[in-house]
This record gives sequence, C-alpha cells and structure tokens, in this order.
Amino acid sequence: MKSFENTLTAQEPIKPLILGNPSFSSVTETISGICEKKETPIWWWIALGISGLLSLNLAAMIGYLVWEGTGIWGLNIPVSWGWAIVNFVFWVGIGHAGTLISAILFLMRQKWRTSINRFAEAMTIFAVLCAAIFPGIHVGRMWVMHWMFPLPNQMGLWVNFRSPLLWDVFAVGTYFTCSALFWYTGLIPDLATFRDRAKNRIKKTIFGVLSLGWRGGNKQWKHYELAYLLLAGISTPLVLSVHSVVSTDFAVSIIPGWHTTIFPPYFVAGAIFSGFAMVLTLSIIARAIFPQIKNFITMDHLGKIAKVILLTGTMVGYAYSMEFFIAWYSGNDYERFAFINRALGPFAWAYWIMITCNVLTPQIFWFKKLRSSIPVLFIASIIVNIGMWFERFVIVMTLHRDFLPSSWDYYTPTMFDIGIFVGSFGFFFFMFLLFLRFLPMISMTEIKGVLPQADPHHGGNSHE
Amino acid sequence: MKDINNNDIINPGSLNKEDKPSSELSRRSFLKIMGGSIAYMAVTGCRRPLEEIVPYVEAPEEAILGNPEKYATSMTLGMGVYGLVVTSFEGRPTKIEGNALHSSSRGGSNAFMQAEILNLYDPDRLKKCYKGNTINSWDGFKQDWSEIHEKYTENQGEGLAILSQSFCSPTLFRQYEAYKKAFPKATWTVFDPVSDENIFKGLSLATGKSLRPNYKFEKAKVILSLDSDFLHLGADNVAAARGFADGRQVNSTHDKMNRLYTVESNVTLTGAMADHRIRLKSSEVFAFSLAIAGELSRLGLNTNGLDDRNLNSKCSVDGKVIKAIAEDLLSNKGQSVIIAGSTQPSELHALVVVLNDLLGNTGKTVTYNKITDAVAANLNELNSLKADLTNKSIETLVILGGDPAFNFPVDYNLKALCKDVKNVIFLGNHKNSTSEFCSWTIPQNHFLESWGDARSSDGTLSIVQPLIAPLYKGHSTIELMNIILTGEERTGYELSRETWAGIFGLLDSESKWKEVLHEGFYNSPQSLEVTFSIDATSIKKSVGKYLSDYKPIQSDLELTFSADPSVYDGRYANNGWLQEAPDPITKINWTNVAGISPGTADKNSLINGDVVEIKNGKYALNIPVWIIPGLAENSLALTLGNGNKKLGRISELSGYSSYTIRTSESTNICTVRMTRTSENLVIPTTQKHPYVEDRPLIRETELKEYQKHPEFAQDMVHVPDTQSLWEEHQYDEGNQWGMTIDLNLCIGCNSCVLACQSENNVPIVGSKPSNYGREMHWLRIDRYFSKDEENPTVRFQPVACQHCEMAPCESVCPVAATNHDQEGLNLMVYNRCVGTRYCANNCPYKVRRFNFYNYTNEYPEIVKMSQNPDVTVRSRGVMEKCSYCLHRINRIKRDTKLSGSKVQDGAVVTACQQACPTGAIQFGNINDPDSKVVAAKKVRNYELLAEFNTRPRTSYQAKIRNPNPDLKKLI
Repeated sequence: MKSFENTLTAQEPIKPLILGNPSFSSVTETISGICEKKETPIWWWIALGISGLLSLNLAAMIGYLVWEGTGIWGLNIPVSWGWAIVNFVFWVGIGHAGTLISAILFLMRQKWRTSINRFAEAMTIFAVLCAAIFPGIHVGRMWVMHWMFPLPNQMGLWVNFRSPLLWDVFAVGTYFTCSALFWYTGLIPDLATFRDRAKNRIKKTIFGVLSLGWRGGNKQWKHYELAYLLLAGISTPLVLSVHSVVSTDFAVSIIPGWHTTIFPPYFVAGAIFSGFAMVLTLSIIARAIFPQIKNFITMDHLGKIAKVILLTGTMVGYAYSMEFFIAWYSGNDYERFAFINRALGPFAWAYWIMITCNVLTPQIFWFKKLRSSIPVLFIASIIVNIGMWFERFVIVMTLHRDFLPSSWDYYTPTMFDIGIFVGSFGFFFFMFLLFLRFLPMISMTEIKGVLPQADPHHGGNSHE
Repeated sequence: MKDINNNDIINPGSLNKEDKPSSELSRRSFLKIMGGSIAYMAVTGCRRPLEEIVPYVEAPEEAILGNPEKYATSMTLGMGVYGLVVTSFEGRPTKIEGNALHSSSRGGSNAFMQAEILNLYDPDRLKKCYKGNTINSWDGFKQDWSEIHEKYTENQGEGLAILSQSFCSPTLFRQYEAYKKAFPKATWTVFDPVSDENIFKGLSLATGKSLRPNYKFEKAKVILSLDSDFLHLGADNVAAARGFADGRQVNSTHDKMNRLYTVESNVTLTGAMADHRIRLKSSEVFAFSLAIAGELSRLGLNTNGLDDRNLNSKCSVDGKVIKAIAEDLLSNKGQSVIIAGSTQPSELHALVVVLNDLLGNTGKTVTYNKITDAVAANLNELNSLKADLTNKSIETLVILGGDPAFNFPVDYNLKALCKDVKNVIFLGNHKNSTSEFCSWTIPQNHFLESWGDARSSDGTLSIVQPLIAPLYKGHSTIELMNIILTGEERTGYELSRETWAGIFGLLDSESKWKEVLHEGFYNSPQSLEVTFSIDATSIKKSVGKYLSDYKPIQSDLELTFSADPSVYDGRYANNGWLQEAPDPITKINWTNVAGISPGTADKNSLINGDVVEIKNGKYALNIPVWIIPGLAENSLALTLGNGNKKLGRISELSGYSSYTIRTSESTNICTVRMTRTSENLVIPTTQKHPYVEDRPLIRETELKEYQKHPEFAQDMVHVPDTQSLWEEHQYDEGNQWGMTIDLNLCIGCNSCVLACQSENNVPIVGSKPSNYGREMHWLRIDRYFSKDEENPTVRFQPVACQHCEMAPCESVCPVAATNHDQEGLNLMVYNRCVGTRYCANNCPYKVRRFNFYNYTNEYPEIVKMSQNPDVTVRSRGVMEKCSYCLHRINRIKRDTKLSGSKVQDGAVVTACQQACPTGAIQFGNINDPDSKVVAAKKVRNYELLAEFNTRPRTSYQAKIRNPNPDLKKLI
C-alpha cells in the first residue's frame, strides 16, 4: 500500500487518531458501557457528594445574599464589582473551548477533535450555566433582574442599548442557546444508540424521546450533517463574539486600564487559553478514571491541546505587554499610572501571579517531553486556570485606583465571595459528574467516522 | 410668623408611643397579644404594612400639607450664638439652616448646626424623670423640690450649689441674678470643658473690664492667628468664616485678598487656609508672639517695654520670618488683626489686645463688647466648688445640662465628690456618667422644643422658639431654674416673654415681639462696645511672671487638647451624622486619635494606628496615634469628647476619652510621656490616599501669578477639540443648571456635607463599613497634602455629582435608570435601578454611592421623623448620588409656574450652597448670562477631568494663595 502513495498529497503515514484499532462495535461497547454499568463506582458517589454539598452551599449563600444584600461581599466604592464579575468572566472564558473545538475545528476538518468535542461541549454548557449565575446575583435588586431583558411592559420602559451589560445579556444568551443546540444535535445519533441498547422501559422511553426518532437512515444522516455544519457555521462567529462582548463590559468604560481597544481579541485569546486548559484538566481526569478511553483520548490529543495552550498563552502574554506599551505610548498619565500601579501597586501580587501562571507556565510546552508528561500537563493546566482567574481579578481590581486619588481604596474578599466561587465549582463538577454517568462522554458517531474502517478507501479500495 | 406656645402646636399624639412604660407583660396578656398579632398577620400578611395618615382636625391657618414652613430661632454652643431658620413639615422640623439676616451666621452654618436636627430626634434621649434609678415624674420632682426650696429660702441658700455650662441668655441671666439675690449663700459655678476663659481673663488683665472680642475679618488685610482655629472651632466661627471669605474674594485681577499667617502646633482648618503656616509647639507660641512684639517695637512701634530682650530671646523661629510678618502687620495698620486661640494662656491674650491696639486695629478689625447676659466658665469658681464639695458643705447640687462627671478634670472626680451630697439634681439630655449618681434626673429639652433667648458677642439679641412640642416630656433650663428659684412652675414661654417685655419696654412689646419671632433676632439700639485704656506695665509684669515660670524644653513631649470637629466636647457623641462625618484634616471618623508629627513618629518608630500610652503625671490613656503632616515636632494633639460611651447606640462605638488625662492644672497644654504598646489598630478613614499625585485636580497659584495669567486654571490642562459623531443635544433652552465651587473660599469645614446629609436623607453606615469605602455621603470633601511632610500645604475639594453632559454613568446602565433631563441634570431613577453598579465604576469622580444593605430599614421610628419628605428614602440595592437638590429646583419651578413668572437667579439654593459659611458654592441657570453662576464660571474656572470630555456642569474656581514675597524663600 505504501508504495502507491507517491502523490504530492501523500504524506508520512500519520499516526491513527484512535489507538488500539477498535472496531465499530467495540467503540459502542466501550463508550456505552460506561453509562450502562449497573453498579456505580464509589468514587463517583463521593465526588458527587462533595460537589453536591458545595452546590448546596452555593444555593444557601445565594439565598443569604438575596436576603441581606450585596453588602455581604467585599464590595465598596470604588471597587463596586468584585468576585462575582471575576467569576462570571472566568466561567464564560472556560466555556469557550467547547464551541471552538466543535465548531471551528470542525469547519477546519481537524479530525482529532472528535475524541474531545463531546465533553468539551458539555463543559461549555456547564461553564456558561455557572457564569450565568453571577450577573443575576451580583445586582443590588435580584428580584427585578428581568428588567435587564427587553420585555415589553405597560410602563413603556425599555432597556438601554448603549450599555455593554445589555450586550452581555444577548451575547451570553445567544452563545448558550447555540452551544446547547449544537451539543444536543451532536448527541442525537448517540442517544439513539443508547435507546436501542436500553434494557428497561424507562430508559428506552427517555432516550426514545431524546433521540427524536433517529433511525440512522441515509436521508437522516444527510440532513443531520447539514444541520451540524450550519450550526457549526453559526457558532463560529459566536466563539469570537461572546468574549469580545464580555470584554466591552470593561473596554467601553472610561476607567484607565479598562478603556482599551485590545480587550476583545485579548479576551478571546484568553478565553480559548483557559477553556483548553480546562479541557486538558478534565481529559486527564477522565482518562484516569476510565482507562478504557485512553485509546480515544490519546497522548496525541493532549499534546495538541498543550500546543493550543502554548499558542494562546503566548498571545495573552503579548497582549499584556502591548497594554503596557500603549499605556506608555498614549502619553496619558492616568493610563500610565494604572499600569504601573498594576505591576507595582497594592495588587501587584495578583498581577505577578497572573504573569507567572499565564505567560511563563505555558512556555514549558515548547518541549515535547513536557508535553507528553501527564503530571506536567495536569499541573500546568490547573496553573493556567488559576492564572486566568487572576487575570480577570487583576482587570476588575483596576477600579481600586482611578482618577481621583481621594477615592483610592482596596478590596478584601469575604467568606461569601470565596464560598460562592467555590460553590460554583461544586455546581460545575456536579453537573459534569452527572454527564459522565448518564450520557456518552465521547461521541461514538464521530469517533467511528474517523476510524480507518470508515474511510471508503480503507483496505485499498481505490476508486481508480 | 406664628406665635407658638408649648401646648398648642402640632399634635404630638403619635409620638406618645415612645413614652409607654417599659413592658411588663404577664403570661396571659402576652398570649393574648401574640394571638391577636398572629391573626392580624394572617389577614395582612400579603399586603404592605398599613400606614395611617391622620389629617389635621384643626389645621393651622397657614399650613398647606406638603409645603414646609420656616421659622427663625437660634441655638447656642457655649457662649456662641447661631441664628437659624428651621424648615418644618406639618410641624415636624427637618432641616436647620443659618439665618441670612442674623449677624452670627449670615445664612451660613457649621456642621454642628446642621446636625442638631438629629439630636432632636435622638432615640436615646432621656425620656423620663428619674428619682435615683426609678422612673418618677415631673410632679414628683416638684413636690420634692418644694420641701427643699422652703429650707433654702429660710437659710439663704446655704448648702445649695448650681453647676452649669456657660450661657448667654438674657432670661437665664435674669434667673442667675435672681438666684444670687434669693440665695446669697448659695453658689453658681460655671464649667465648660471647652471654654474661652483664657480670652476673657486676658482681656480683663489688659483692660480691667469683663469684655469679649468681636472680630471683623472682612476688614482685615493681614491676619495673624496664634494657635487659633477661628475659622472652624473658635467662637463665632460662622461669622468669622464669612468675614474671612469676604476679605479673600478674587473675582478679577484687580482684587486684593487678605493674607493669613498661622502659627500653630496641630493642623487646623485655619492653618490649612493660611498663606504661611508656621508649625510651632503650642507652648512656644507665646515666645513667638513676644518676638513679634519685639520686632514691632524695633520697627518703631512703642510697645511699652514688651520688646525687652529677656522676654523674647526664647523663640525658635527664624528672626527674618518674624521680621517679615511684623513688617506686614505694620504696613497694614488698622487693617490687620492678631487673634490668639483659647488654649493659649491669658497673658498672651492680654499681649494680643495690646498689639492689636498698637497696630490701630481696635475699633476697626476688632471691637470689644461688654459681656452682657452671659456668664463664662471660671476655673477659680470650679476650684471653690470642689473645695465646698470636699468640705461636705454642699447638701444640694443642681447640675444644669452637660455631662460634668464625664468631662470634669480627671483629678476632680465629680462622682466621688458628690458622694455625700444629699440631693444631686441633674437636667440632662441622656443617661450619662453624671446621671448615674443623681438623686433626680430630669430630661432636658432640645432647643427646638423650648423657648428661650440668647445674646451674641456683638450684642444681637436672638430668640429661641420651639418648632415642636417636647418629644419626651422634657423641660428647658429656664423652666427648671424657675422651679429652683420659686418652687412654682411657669412655662418657658412666659419666662422669655417677661424678659423681652423688659427689653422692649411695655409700650410696643406685642408688635416688636412678633417682629422678633419673625426675624429671629433683635438689634438692640444700646451698643455694648466699650472703650478702655490699657495698663501696659501690669501686662508686662504678668507676662514677665508667666515667662519666668515658663521653661520650654524642645525635646519635651507636649500634649494639646482641643474641641473635636465631630463631637465637640462630647455633647454630639450620640449623633451619627457627626460621628460619620470625617475629621476635616485626618478624614478619620467614628473615633479619635492622638495626632503626631511624621518626625516624632519616626523617632519613636510609630506608624498609623499604633497604640501608645500617654501619661500625664499619674493619669494614663491608651490611644492610637495618627501621623499628621505639618504637626509640630514633639507635640501630640488630642481632641476632647470621644469615648463618651454611655449616651446611647451611637456613642458606645466611639473612641477614647481624652478627659481621662486632662487635669485641672493642664486643661489645654501639658507635658506628657509616651510609650509604645504592642497593639496596632485599624483606624477608620474615608480617604486612604493623602496626596494628589501631581494630577491637575486642585489647581492653585499665587495671587501675583494669577494677576499675570488669569486663565491659568484653564490652561493647565489641554482639553482637545472633539468632533461629535452624532448630532448632540444642545442644552440651550430653558433652565440649565450648573454649579461652581470656589476652592479659594472652601475651608473644608464639613458644613455642606452635613447639610446634604440632612436635606437628602443620606443614611449613615457605621465605622467599619465607612472605613471599607461604603459611606453614603453624596458630597464629600477631598483633602490633599503636598508631599512636604514638615510644612505641607493642605487643600480641600468638595466633590459631588458633577452632572456631566456626557455622563459616563448614563451610557452604561443597562436599564436606563440614570438619565439626563432637558435641564442638564443627571437624574437617578431609584425605582428603575437594578443595582449593577456599573455607573459607579464608570464615574470618574466616584461620587455614586450604593445601598449595599438596607441602611434605612432599621431606623427607629423617631429618627424617621427627621427625614425630608421631599426626598425619597432609598432602599437596598439602588445607587444614589447628588441630585443638585432636584426637589428644591422643582419646588421653585412649581411656585414660579403658578405665579406665572420665570425662575429668578438665586431662587434655587442647594442645601450645600445654603450651608456654606464662606459662600464658596454658586448654583443657578447657566443659560442666563446674568446669573451669578455664569459670572463665577468666568473667573479662575476649570472643570474637573474636562480632558475626558465628560463636560461637567459643576466647575471649580482655582485656589489662590497670597504669600508674602519676603517670606517665600524662608518658609
């Protein structure tokens, strides 16, 4: 076979995307098997218990917040946005990788994406859910949150379309809707597989309803592929738009250190950066728990993710330095001070944590050895996400010293700032654990599509 | 205006709830009430709380519901009198303002005047008569007293003593004289923790007469202040500030302004305003003054031997500086004034009288009036009272007001002294340290509840008329005094009318009385000004004696006591507005500190908040230190009155009592020892960063520079020409509101801050939250020090919402809760606000305040009465900020619309503008070319952060200093 491949397009024999040369049926068996197992592993219960408790803590703290007021957080004037906004931007950022992997990599025919896109998408949805908690609860009067939506009302009151917070509502709302649709569309053939394999009536009914009557017919496949492509097309600009719009929450303001045009691209790069780091964290955990998927999510996948992290991390680092350059170049004293203050002021510790985590840490991925070491990858992925949280923290804390030195102050988080943040992680993992247990974490359909057997030319069946 | 007497004003029915006896419920009645309440809750559970509006049964003739009425009255603080106009809604006083016609205030006010309204509605005020610790009644007291009274009428008052604060009331003075007559063997002692005794003593030393000075700062071109805070905490400070401001107006390049030299140890507002401030330990000010005297005589003034070299060799200030000041004073003969502070010894005051006289200032910039209808504090009397108490020769002690047990010199323990006094009768505002050991405690009326009168230093007679019936069945001093004198009850109204009948004469009493009630004061045709001759040799003798006892040691640590800008002498300790109002210099609120200079702090390796033990002889006080740039080396500054924790819910949070180390020997200045403890405390401040960091926020220049370059303020920052992308709103029709704040006149006194708080129902948040940056003040005063730690310049800048035409806050609100109206006002729609706080983030001036909690929810019922019904009380979760007193604008607009006229310039006066004692704030229609605000915007005008195209409607007028060219290089 090898001797025939002498055209220009012929390449070195690429490594197979899926290792172990599984058959179609063994793919189905392996992935469905995880969800169909009767006895639930004990670690799952423990993890679910912990994350469930944290979620309850989140709910209780939100309840107290609604009861008492936003004063329970460390907010003040001038820093009247605190951890809630930091967490919001952080989670929206995490939610970036999913759609990027599903949509953009799909359009670019990056077939390696098939192993990780399903749970990256799930991660997106749960992260956006986590993010969506915060704008709702950070306002002073949560019970009139619906005024943020353009709902027709008898008072003729309308929202202010000039406000980036309103753009946020639309951007995040659209993003969540499209991501959820995309994820669900992708799930349909797999849900049908589950339906077909279900052994009891309840499961059969549930999956039957969810799989929307999928039969796997040729026409259905044709429509399905087209719908998937369209959704990918729709989602692609959203990947870029959502975090650009989130960045305008800051960029549109007049505050030195916020008022910059670099924010949209820099935020998108940062979001992809943190999203991929989170995918990496989750993949490594999933591989450890379910050794059977090591053939699907291979070291090659992890290495590719690491490369994306290296690229976006470097972009973020470039943005950091460019911010400083522009601050100096602008000649605006307030702007210059804001950045000097960032690096040397009371929040310098946060700034240097951010630089260390986001700019320096990813540089280790230049080395293949480090890219292929699971512990290194795992620790680095967590460090990156710590850094990305700090990036948002540093940005929000820019508020603490603006124009009039008389109003300069500091921000100290309270137990409620911390509790709600930790609680949001609890909620995220709670949802993720449920997903791992009940839905196929890897897209069986798409995996099968990239197996060598799926290739019509497989086995030398050339058309020529 | 209307003649009101105590019994027939407003229906006090709803207030009586507060007077219910403390609940002693039986189990049965408890269950009954609970059962009833639960049933009631079930019925109304899903409704808003029921509120009843009870209409007038018999409405007062002029009363229109919703339209406030204004009454003239006056308040006294020690021997100072402040003429007031008080706004009252349906018989409920809500706002105190200065009386524009009254010489004592000329419409301005200070922070204390503004905050008095909250004192009226203080929920912790004494509400009942107590006999010992049990509740009794006024009738019970009268009964008890009638027995005592009988005894003293027979024995001419032997064993009877009165302890009061200084006063200046014709009626009380009449009673004072009657008391002396009726009980010749009784004593009346006057004690003030903060007093001007030294000033009066010095005057009598110099002239042999009992006089009080009356300064006319408007006529002075050169002012030398010797440790005097005449602009802020001195007597007659509102009039002084106004006079000072009149002499400091710079409205064109031809205007001359006065020049202020200040010599002081602590940094006061007067020092902050000075063109030259010389920091000197308080104990060295005397030597400085003598050096000035010596220099003046060297320059040709006959000082009658005060230039004696022996006398003035002890001054540590450079002779060239002394010479320059002396020359300046001399070249402005008759147009200069020297004023010394009340903490300085009486000998210095005598010296100052001489110097002012030699400089030809007597009768021009300072006049002296006979002390009339007033009794000043006297330490000798206090000593003899102490002796009497120690001898146990006093059987009955009547304490009229104050809290002497708290603020007595620490070596005079009033409680211990009173141990053997049979009857201690106390007329007081609160349960306090004094009421603890009294046999009778009687609630004292607030001045807004009582009739009375007062006489100012310039001789003006003022009326004190009540605006509300006593909330707590209290009694005024004159009512109690009448019982003490005669054993019979007469109303304060009758007593004051009697006095005034004597003042007017019988013929036109009624009409003049009505006139006085309307105007609030009466200019007695009889002048109190006196002429005198100065006894120079005796002054020289006493000065010489003072100096021979005086041995200044540079390294000694000196401690000075002064009144506190928030609690004064402790009487305002339970006033939340004043407690939350930051100290003008340190910006510390809710507590007090020992001020220390950077150098002395360094030497003792102290940082802000380090607790030190200050020892004055055997008395010690642990208090945190706070570094104040510009404070004299080896000097500690303590303010009085904090730590008075017994008054109520507010005062129990406050500070450290300086009285615990203040002895009768050293009431003003003393030498102390200081040791560091290991403790460090967080001191609440509202401004964390002291420097302006070279930002062009407060623009300032010298008079000469200004005359050369009058546009300097505008030219300081390049504001680029911008092209709009869209057609902008023009704001060129109708009223367009704008404001100017003249930084040259702002003395930083907090009067506007308190006025705004009172007018706009601004809540207080408490010590920790305000330290954390959650204070709610719509108007704050920024204070910046220059970076010179030894001799910093201090600058003030009041900042409220700037009402930007291109408001950054408006565009970012997602629900359009903050908008612009057609008159250029930046509006805040509380109902619409969801509380995203983006507007606050995006406000470059950081003037927006957020209700992080429901601050107004837990107001006691009585405090709710102090709220202005024209202004929404904000709930939790909404943003708030200065509205340019929108409700005042609307009221005027409504009135003018009804009368068919246009809003006249000056008709709308914002609360801050009204309160400002120096008239630094102008407000009006910038669309009216003849308005005062437009005129002000042409002089020294600049807009804060105009380079960011916010186009604020508030602009600032740059500060001008007028330094002495001869001194510039020296200080």
